Amino acid sequence: MAAEEQKETATLPKLTPFDNHPTPTSDVQHETEEILLEHLPSPDATAQSPYALNKSVHIQFLAKHLIKGLNARYISQDASQPWLLFWILQAFSCMGVVLDPDNCQRAIDKILACQHPAGGFSGGPGQAAHLLTTYASVCALAIIGRPGKGGGWEEIDRKAIYDFFLSVKQKDGSFLVAHHSEVDVRGIYCLLVVATLLDILTPELIAGTPEFIASCQTYEGGFSSSSFPSYDPHNPQKILEGSPRPALGEAHGGYTFCAVASWVLLQPYIKLLPPEAPKPSIDLKALLRWLVLMQGTESELGGFRGRTNKLVDGCYSWWCGGAFGLLEALGVGGLENAKSVSEEVIDQEEEALKGLKIGGGDWVDIDDELFNSKALQEYILLAGQAPDGGLRDKPPKAPDVYHTLYCLSGLSIAQHHVFPSTSKCKKLSEAWNPFNERKIDLGVSSEDKDLNASLRREAYAAILSWDEDIARASSYAHIVGGKDNRLNATHPITNLTMTHTEGIAKWAYGL
Amino acid sequence: MSEGRATLFADREEWKDVEPLEQYENLNPLAPILYTPEYKDATGYFRAIAKSGEKSPRVLVLTEAIIRMNPGHYSAWQYRYETLLAIDAPLDVELKLMNEFAVKYLKSYQVWHHRRLLVTIMRKPIPELAFITLSLSEDSKNYHTWSYRQWLLAYFNDEEDLWAKELDFVERMLAQDIRNNSAWHHRFFVVWASGVRDGEEDRERVLKRELTQQSISLAPNNASAWNYLRGILNHNKVAFSSVAEFVKLYTVPYDASRKDIVDVDLPPPGPSADLPCAAAIEFLADVYEQEGDKDGVQRATELWKSLATEHDTIRVKYWEHRIREALESVQS
Repeated sequence: MAAEEQKETATLPKLTPFDNHPTPTSDVQHETEEILLEHLPSPDATAQSPYALNKSVHIQFLAKHLIKGLNARYISQDASQPWLLFWILQAFSCMGVVLDPDNCQRAIDKILACQHPAGGFSGGPGQAAHLLTTYASVCALAIIGRPGKGGGWEEIDRKAIYDFFLSVKQKDGSFLVAHHSEVDVRGIYCLLVVATLLDILTPELIAGTPEFIASCQTYEGGFSSSSFPSYDPHNPQKILEGSPRPALGEAHGGYTFCAVASWVLLQPYIKLLPPEAPKPSIDLKALLRWLVLMQGTESELGGFRGRTNKLVDGCYSWWCGGAFGLLEALGVGGLENAKSVSEEVIDQEEEALKGLKIGGGDWVDIDDELFNSKALQEYILLAGQAPDGGLRDKPPKAPDVYHTLYCLSGLSIAQHHVFPSTSKCKKLSEAWNPFNERKIDLGVSSEDKDLNASLRREAYAAILSWDEDIARASSYAHIVGGKDNRLNATHPITNLTMTHTEGIAKWAYGL
Repeated sequence: MSEGRATLFADREEWKDVEPLEQYENLNPLAPILYTPEYKDATGYFRAIAKSGEKSPRVLVLTEAIIRMNPGHYSAWQYRYETLLAIDAPLDVELKLMNEFAVKYLKSYQVWHHRRLLVTIMRKPIPELAFITLSLSEDSKNYHTWSYRQWLLAYFNDEEDLWAKELDFVERMLAQDIRNNSAWHHRFFVVWASGVRDGEEDRERVLKRELTQQSISLAPNNASAWNYLRGILNHNKVAFSSVAEFVKLYTVPYDASRKDIVDVDLPPPGPSADLPCAAAIEFLADVYEQEGDKDGVQRATELWKSLATEHDTIRVKYWEHRIREALESVQS
């Protein structure tokens, strides 16, 4: 008996070391690992693969919420109604489910009922406009809407959204998420996605924003919610001259995704700044290190956590895992951006890396990613799926629509390789018609005109330059659990499919 | 009506003059939330009030009722704030209510932001420190609570009454849980990121005090302490090699026969330490890489390989990447 037990435990990964110094953090960490390890497939697993993605039960779970509604527990999400729709609709898109025309129209009508008369979209009818729900609404419309009257796109009041954006802008380049509300990088991400997709990105809107984003990077390498300068203790209006701008809150997965995606979306603007202008920068090496350290070890089944010394959670599959795709746009990782290296160095590298490649079995190694995509898929498939449908933070928690989407988006980025293609970007930029004027008048001042025109072209080319690695897309070798688990590819910035991103952007830019 | 349940607004005499607004008119919405009667009732009146623009004491009653059912209703918070200002309501009463709410709805963004709006006007930051400490005893890693404390310090910036005891507070939080990364971040905020405090002008002394060797020797496998150590060395532009002798003690298995030299700068691991420690190996590899020559990269590569194959196998792709980058950098 004892020997048998020993044999069984010997095959399990070892728990996170705690140096025989227990604290509340290590206690809850170990409890979690014990539960997660129960989800490892037993060697004598029955016919059904433990790695199967149970799409049909997840689709039923989502359909039930969409049609029958969400129980009273979701009252806490009453100010996030466009989010609830976006999470459900995008989870469907990820799994290749298309809504019928009747339900599409109902979804469009609901989102449009959340449009605020003074600009932007609200958490629900009669609520105030908010940057986050504006992103969720526009992305939901990207999925279900169409050009033409009644299709949801023509009904978006873009000038009013632009005015709302300007009305929440702060002197330091940041934005309030809503009037009288907090500043944080989630809001900036949401604003930049919407402005880029809908052709309302102007130099005036985003002046100072890169500096603000850069100031939110912490000593750990990830990003915090926001930053704040020191004030004169005797004058509540006066920022102390030369004061530093420390980050408020520690490095965090959700804020890091938003900050890095914002940084990528700001690149066209940063590149167009005059050469003599000071260019803000971020520490990419520290960022990469922090991101890879967010991935849990074998005893955590390879899921991602959101902060140092916190627990893994399925939603960080997207917030942290998804950030690796963004890094490629900044020159970190990815074959597309590989530097040209001499044969001699390649030989040396091969020699040094001998015997390191992960895998075994059917796993085909891929050199274009910096996190363990196989382990991430395993976490989502083994621990993320709730038996009765829907995906979750971790067992034994109940699933919800938020975790269902972000687990699926994370699974999608772990299956596919979507990268910023420099050649596609160049092509789009060169094919741009210089006489293509913006369809709406934003009242851009005449001195900004040239910069404004260039920014439009470059922002459009950049957001649509993302492309799927064809060689990888045509093989199922990187999909844990086999081809039935395949999901649609996800655009690393918008968290929409590639097709939906392209559809609404082309319409908005009049192309 | 069942006991303890608040009267619906529809049944209240003082609301007779208001016609509640339906949320969706002529629309059968997808993904509807199945509201409780109380929530549906209160939010119907809120939509009506938000439309008419009324700012009066009864709006405070209404928004409080909604917030109690859904503390994430940001529009109710926003409207409540505008109403407080418009009717010149006593803010100390509001802050008292917030004391109750902060504990009840700890995870809500709005509860902390509303507090910040109130304290900005009231300008009484000192009692806030004790309140925050109390809240952290409920949830020691709450992101909003820590951010609020950091905002309070930076905005009011009072050296004597706010900042003076902050390091003691950090020490107490870390004594409760040396792995609490929020407390480590706060430490960095206090000692480094916010600038130089009174009495801390001797940065060399401060750096020496902050090197965290004692923390690491207590629990070597603590990512928070290693990140802090890296953070302060980078912030002060001090080479990692300055602590190489200390770090080396943690890159090898525990050796009971070793005679420890008593040196406060080189506290050794204890017998219960789980060694070798991956974070120490990673750190030492960085020390070698920073030497900048082929020999250094060679030694770093050996360490990265040991991480990839043995001590930190989940990150094999990253360690491969580090090896590649390092080899390419000494070539060019």
